[in-house]
Parts: sequence; structure tokens; C-alpha cells
Amino acid sequence: MTTITIQVNGKQLATEPDKTILEVCRANDIEILTMCHLKGVMDVGACRLCLVEIEGINKLLSACTTKVAANMVIRTDTERIKKYQRITTELFFAERNHVCSVCVANGKCELQQLGYKVGMDHIRYPFLYPKCELDSSHAWYVIDHNRCIMCTRCVRVCNEVEGAHNWDVMNRGTQVRVISDFNSPWGESVTCTSCGKCVHACPTGAIWPKAIVQGQLEKKPGIINELVEKRKMKL
Amino acid sequence: MNRQDLQLLTDQAKEKKNSCKHTICVCCGASCISSGSEEVLKKLEEEIKSRGLENEVAVIPTGCMGPCNQGPLVKYMPENTIYQKVDCDNIARVVQSQLIDKKPIEDLLLFADSREKPFLNAEEDPFFKKQLKVALLDCGDINPETIEDYFTRDGYKALSDVLFRMSPEDVIAEIKHSRIRGRGGAGYPTGMKWETVYKYVSDQKYVICNGDEGDPGAFMDRSVLEGNPHRVLEGMAIAGYAVGASKGYAYIRGEYPLAIKRFELAIKQARKNGLIGNNILGTNFSFDVDVRIGAGAFVCGEETALIASIEGKRGTPKPRPPFPAESGLWGHPTLINNVETFAGIVPILNKGGEWYSEIGTPKSAGTKVFALAGKINYSGLIEVPMGTTLREIVFDIGGGIQGGGTFKAAQTGGPSGGCIPAEHLDVKMDYEALVNLGSIMGSGGLIVMDQQSDMVDVARYFMEFCMDESCGKCVPCRVGTKMMHDLLHKICAGNGTRIDLDRLEELAVYVKETSLCGLGGSAPNPLLSTLRHFRQEYESRITTPGVKKELQPQS
Repeated sequence: MTTITIQVNGKQLATEPDKTILEVCRANDIEILTMCHLKGVMDVGACRLCLVEIEGINKLLSACTTKVAANMVIRTDTERIKKYQRITTELFFAERNHVCSVCVANGKCELQQLGYKVGMDHIRYPFLYPKCELDSSHAWYVIDHNRCIMCTRCVRVCNEVEGAHNWDVMNRGTQVRVISDFNSPWGESVTCTSCGKCVHACPTGAIWPKAIVQGQLEKKPGIINELVEKRKMKL
Repeated sequence: MNRQDLQLLTDQAKEKKNSCKHTICVCCGASCISSGSEEVLKKLEEEIKSRGLENEVAVIPTGCMGPCNQGPLVKYMPENTIYQKVDCDNIARVVQSQLIDKKPIEDLLLFADSREKPFLNAEEDPFFKKQLKVALLDCGDINPETIEDYFTRDGYKALSDVLFRMSPEDVIAEIKHSRIRGRGGAGYPTGMKWETVYKYVSDQKYVICNGDEGDPGAFMDRSVLEGNPHRVLEGMAIAGYAVGASKGYAYIRGEYPLAIKRFELAIKQARKNGLIGNNILGTNFSFDVDVRIGAGAFVCGEETALIASIEGKRGTPKPRPPFPAESGLWGHPTLINNVETFAGIVPILNKGGEWYSEIGTPKSAGTKVFALAGKINYSGLIEVPMGTTLREIVFDIGGGIQGGGTFKAAQTGGPSGGCIPAEHLDVKMDYEALVNLGSIMGSGGLIVMDQQSDMVDVARYFMEFCMDESCGKCVPCRVGTKMMHDLLHKICAGNGTRIDLDRLEELAVYVKETSLCGLGGSAPNPLLSTLRHFRQEYESRITTPGVKKELQPQS
């Protein structure tokens, strides 16, 4: 097995090629913020939180989709990156109706944690207050679009791991919505297997099981990768 | 069909063409059709027939001739006299004086208000005189719906020469030598792109023609596809041979029904003649083309989103790398070029890369098609050598500002581009010069604005466009363009503050640097360029909260 060296924030790291910058950094305890990344499903580079500076490349690249190359010099902690992470976080909160105090995911929400991590003490942009629906037609689960950040982790886990493809995305711009089948109520879905993977994949309080009260939600996003790895072993 | 058959067909077509003393070309591009040119064509045919001239005079529908706002246009060849705004009522009179009495009716000739008098030979009009047609060559002179007319212009000769005389390496070397750069906007060297795709080893490769022209005010690709579809098809086949692809897709937006119709017809005719399909001209090379119709999403002009759309998926972009040249359509190496780039391939191979590389500026070789629009006397389609100044384009070719107004700015590159103010009228238009001014070449839309234009509103308009067209995948573009639009709207309404302006500038740089694809990455350009050149207009709009309007400091 070949080994290459890369430099991250001034530190030399030895790694195998064919890994993403994110994988290498996480394996070496270098923190990179993410929202749309979920171990076990394909990366899409959509949340733009994991952007890193790479010497010799004038664009910021997403760590989750960029593979390491020999002698790459990477910075994850510049002022510019921190500033952009903060703006992205604020835009997440301003886009839809994230009211933590009444949210089932309060205290266990990845978006909330992100806000703490980037030191967001207030939001400088006007809240958009879109009118979003809440669909509780499914027997066990609820999807609340007010809390959705369009990370599409549910879409990918349903398609790639469960193989059901119940979830997809419709519309453009800020009108985008995660939809069940061809935009029918979740309870009427003919593809949903009620497996509940999307519940665990969702980083916020957008998808949750019924009979849960404020702050009581327990999510295990790690379960997705566990499943994927176990299947590989079986094969 | 083999090579000799092609030669024979070419000779026959030329002979037939030469047997007619006169040709009357009626512009049947989408723009002239909308002002009634199909009716004119019908009436003209009847008129010629009723005079018994049908053996001497050929009446043909053609693609775009250029000055679209003066349509319907009718051109009499070989005199090269163009009549504008042709009315069905005076067709008989024009035919009588033009063909029989040999006295053109000056009042009806193509004419811009700013000129002294109309020109009997349209080639002497600065509109045509200053142009150099390469991609648009033959567009407006031949009937795009018959392959025979294309044969009269040595159609498919370049393909035949390439197949019999050149190796794929030779073709790539010639294209590299020509220094042609991608005409879709980014200006990536075409030869290098071809070489990259050529070098990847794969049993299946694809060639895609990007005809998803979505910029407001741009219609270059549409006009090329409508006016000379075989040229694009031939260019694609040559590209297929050079990179080792056997399948091509032309992705054309659904808003261009005529372009789709004519391109599909061209495919059918070429297939029937064995010029695309299996074993082209008896060689081992096989290449077929299909049309895919876009649903009009601006983002599908971005190559990775376009590929997703062809695959039948939601048209959203993917992070690059990997680039399509390595992993494109269905994971195979894929070459994507713009319509205009493919249209330029045949002339390069016919006349040589050397010839092409000598046109233009040191860094941007060749010619560029622009779609002139806005407050200009001749709005329409032009092609000029790179390095032509904006002044020549607006005042000589375009005939100046409508109604004798003053030039304020030209917007290039559509929603991804910027505005060039009057003090830079002498800029030599090429890729680098426009970037230096905070704009981009883009696909070639050029909107001319006069003193009445409100630059803040221009920025707001383009931001609204980008906001609506954002695919919604990445946060900076989805939410950032919405926030910027709302701030611009607020400033336009006179309610903006200093803080809003600062925030707007911060967001603009943020969205530009962090967006996933080119749509978001270039969405702030109209805003940034108007801030750079017309900052005063923003400053005069912003207010200080709590202070009465009349007491506001006027900065």
C-alpha cells in the first residue's frame, strides 16, 4: 500500500491516497465542520461548511468530495474559512423556522451544535419566515419542513442504503422541498418501507418519530454507517 | 456513401445552385418568423411563380442574417441588397424594381437611423463590413433545412478530410494550433479539453453539444442551430473522431423549438446520407447523435448539471473534480463544448489552425459571436474578431444608441457577467480584458444601456434571475442570492442603510467564493461590477434610519 504525505494546518500527515480530505482530517482529530456529510452515503458537497484552502488552487474546495494528493498543503482554520462558516450557519438559521425552544431535537440537534461551534451569538440577516408544511400522515414518523436544512441526507440514505427512494427533492432556490414519492403525503407513500433510517440520518428536528416531546429526541446517525459496514462484511 | 459519392453530391448541388441567376434569401430565424417572414416567403414564391421566373430565381428560407430588430429581412443575391421590415403588400413592387428594372427602392432598404443613407450592397454597411464570420459563416445564406445547400458550401468536406487524411492526434494538434477557446463563457482552451478526453482510456466516450443557452438577452446558439445546423453536427462528428467517442448528444433547451426541429432534421438528413451513423463514409468510424431537450433551467447550462439532466436526473451540479473529461455522462469520459465552439471547428480544419490563430488577440484567438440587445439601433447577431473595441461594436456595427441617447454601460455575460461603463468603451474585447473590468465574456450576450438605465435596478434584476434559477442544492447560492436580492430590493426602494450595503458586499464575496458551481460563483458579478463602476448610484440611495429623507446626507 502506498503512503503519501500531506500537510494540514502546518502539520505533516501520512495517509493513503484515494481518501478524501475530510476522512484524513477526521482520522487525525482535525475538526472540519459538516452538515450534509453522513458516513455511509455518498457525499454531495452541498452545505459548503467543509471548504478548505489548498495551496496552488485559487478556489475553496469541499473537503468531503476532494481526494487528497501527494504533498497537498491544506488549511482548514484560516480567518476567511471561519468567517464563511459563520455566514453559512447564519443563513441556515435565517432560511427556515428554526425555533429551538419548541423543537423535539433541542439539545441534540446538529444545527444547534454548529451554531455553538462557530460562536454564533446573533443572526445578522433578516429571517425569511417561509410558510412550511408539517406532514404527520405517516403512522410512526413526522416530517416538519420548518426544521429542514436541505442537507438531503434522508434522500441519500433512502436511495442508497434502504433502496426505496421514497424521498426526493422538488422545486428550485429557496422553494426546494424534500418530497415523498411525487409530492404526496408521506403516509400514502407506496415506496416508503417505514424503516426509519431517514429519522436517524436527519441532523435536525425535521424528521422525527411520533410520541416524542420537546427535547426528547434520540438520533443515532452513526447507525447508517454501521449498517453499511456490516453489509460489506457479509458480502 | 463513400468519399467519391460525397464529391459527386457536392458538385451536383453546386451546379444546381449556379443554374439560378438570382437567389432571394428570406430570413426564417425565430426572430424574423415572429414578425411574419414565413408569410413573406410564401408570397414571394407565388410572386416569382406568377411572373414565370422560377427557373432563374430561387427563393429560399435562411437562418439569421443579423439585424434582427429590422425583420423580416429579405436579401437579393448576388447584388447583396437587403430589404428590411418587408411587408407582404409591397412584395410585387420590390420584385419589379429589384429584379426587372434593376433599381432598388432605397426607402425600403436596411437602414439604421444613425446612418446617412442606406447601402445598395449590404456588405458596405458598417454592420456587415466590420464583421468577420467564422462560426456564423453561411448562416443567412443557405437553406438550413436541406443538406444540398450545405453541400454547396463544401459541407462535410472537413469531416471527410479528417477521416481519410488525419489521425485523431493530428486533429487535436490542429485545434490546439488554432488556439480556439471554449465559446460557452469560461474560455478553456478547446484543444486541451479534447486532448484530455482523448487520453482517458475507456471503451465508451461521449461528445455533448451544450445548447442550453439560458442568459437573458443571448441568442447566439439558437441562431447558429437554426441557421446552419449541419455545421454544428459536422463539428461534433469531428470531435467524436478526435477524442474517440461514438455517441453524441445535443442538449438544446425546450424554448428553442425551431432550433430543435432543424437540428433533428439535419441529423436525419446526415444519417440518410451516411454522414453520421455506422461506418461513416465507409471508414471504421461510427458516430451517432441524439437530441436531448432541456426544460429551460439556467443551471443546466453548467456541465455537470447538464450531464445529470441527460441521465434523466434532477439537473443539479456536482463538485468538480472529477471533471467530465474523466468521469462525465454515466461515468464515462465526456467532451462538452458549446454550440458556437463546434460551429468553429469546420472552418478551422478547412482553412487551417494557423489562419484562425492569426485572428484576434494574442491570448484570445479567433472571432466571437455577440447578441446585441438593448437600446441600440441594430439589435441582433454579429461576429467580430476578438480584440474589436466595444466602441466599434456599439457605434459602428450596432449603429449607435437608439433615439440619439447617450451610452451609459454595456452588460456582457448575462447574469454571470458585469457592466462596462462608458469610460472603457475602447476596451479591446477579449476574455482577459473583460475579466479585468469585472465582467466576463460569457456566451456573448451584450446588452446596451443608455443614460436612463438604473444600475442598481440592473443588479437587482440579474440577482432576481439567479435567485429564481438557483437549483437550491448549496447554501450560499440558495439562501445567499435570496438575501442579496432582498437587500437590493430594499436599496432600490430607498429603504437601504449603510449596514445593508456593507452586508451586501460581504455576502457578494462570500457567495462568489463558496458556491458549489458556476451559477452561484458568478451570481454576484453584476452586483460587484455595478458597485465598482457606479458606486455613486448605490450611495445616493441609502438612507440613515430615523432621519427624514430631505435631511439625509447626500454623499
